[in-house]
Amino acid sequence: MVRIGRMLLKDASVGISKTLSEILVCPLSKQPLRLCEKTNSLISDSIGVSYPIVDGIPRLVPTDGKMIDLEEGSSTNSTVGSDDGKINHQRGSSS
Amino acid sequence: MRASPINLPRRTLPPARLYCTGISDDAVGSSKLKIFDRSLKRKQRDRAAWLMQPKPKDSLVDSVAENLLDRLEDCKRTFSTAACLGGSMEAIRRLLRGRGGIEKFIMMDASCDMVNLCKRAEKDSPNENVETSFVVGDEEFLPFKESSLDLIISNLGLHWTNDLPGAMIQCRLALKPDGLFLASIFGGETLKELRIACTVAQMEREGGISPRLSPLAQVRDAGNLLTRAGFSLPGVDVDEYVVRYSSSLELIEHLRSMGETNALLQRSQILKKETALATAAVYQSMFGAEDGTIPATFQVIFMTGWREHHSQQKAKRRGSATISFKDIQNQFGNN
Repeated sequence: MVRIGRMLLKDASVGISKTLSEILVCPLSKQPLRLCEKTNSLISDSIGVSYPIVDGIPRLVPTDGKMIDLEEGSSTNSTVGSDDGKINHQRGSSS
Repeated sequence: MRASPINLPRRTLPPARLYCTGISDDAVGSSKLKIFDRSLKRKQRDRAAWLMQPKPKDSLVDSVAENLLDRLEDCKRTFSTAACLGGSMEAIRRLLRGRGGIEKFIMMDASCDMVNLCKRAEKDSPNENVETSFVVGDEEFLPFKESSLDLIISNLGLHWTNDLPGAMIQCRLALKPDGLFLASIFGGETLKELRIACTVAQMEREGGISPRLSPLAQVRDAGNLLTRAGFSLPGVDVDEYVVRYSSSLELIEHLRSMGETNALLQRSQILKKETALATAAVYQSMFGAEDGTIPATFQVIFMTGWREHHSQQKAKRRGSATISFKDIQNQFGNN
């Protein structure tokens, strides 16, 4: 049940529109972001910060970002499975 | 070591600024000076979103937005991808009415509530043929890819940035070549009556003054700003609006609903009731009209700038003329 619920939730709010994913970059490093479906956040690999997506609206204010090391530390406790398998690589095409 | 500056607390952020303007070579000497409390401004804009809830119609903001959008009709080209930065962006969305041929419209504000308000408003009355998306972002840290936008509109928002040249440089970088930057900010004459009234009342009641109103750009600065940010064909013009209020309290309420209240870092945290009442009295006696209303001046500076493109007209190289002005004068002037 929990799993199904989570699936439904995912369908409703995970991810951002195609337009946004083409245009948005990390506000600090201006490098491409990748979507992490598990935590529903946008991750800037170049500086290791994740920005949450709430109701389909990405929050890209630097103060809303979380250092990724901290977040991974807390999430590995609660979830099973390797990160790599679930992370969907959606790098914006760089010009 | 990577990105240690962003390690949570807000006060450790300034070094991160290096990342954002550092990527451009021409971001020379971007000031590290902090004037405004950006997190407070964010809260004030949250509050503004709630205050404007029943009817988001504000005649001052609407006329500024209308004036700004009017400029799109002067452009021959269309702008398929546009971003609207914080400030009064709800008015921009509402009054857009298909101008500029915008197909993809991205609205960005630092305040989550303001963005949510716009999203709800978009659901209620969508702009036809415009795909609107929403982002929470900071104008000082623009999250847009380089050369990805045709148009950036900012309605009454950029005067709250600590580093206005830096923010404008980021805007220019986010624009495609021949992309348009269109912004309105409040200018130095704004609320001059309130400025005077605050000073007089504070001197009288407290024996000193504290900054109650933020420093604003002057008209002559605006042109320099555009040039410094590297925009070509810069254009600046000024409009002055005088709004009449029935009392100074109403003025303050209006400022609150626009999210334009004091967000200076060095502001005084307390406002004594006595001083506030004295300010209202001074305002009334110095500027009040006979019918009891008080005027408030809002000076709006409109800035337009284009990202450079080879198709744009530019001045010819010095010394490249083939005809002397003297000959022209001989030809036309002396008959």
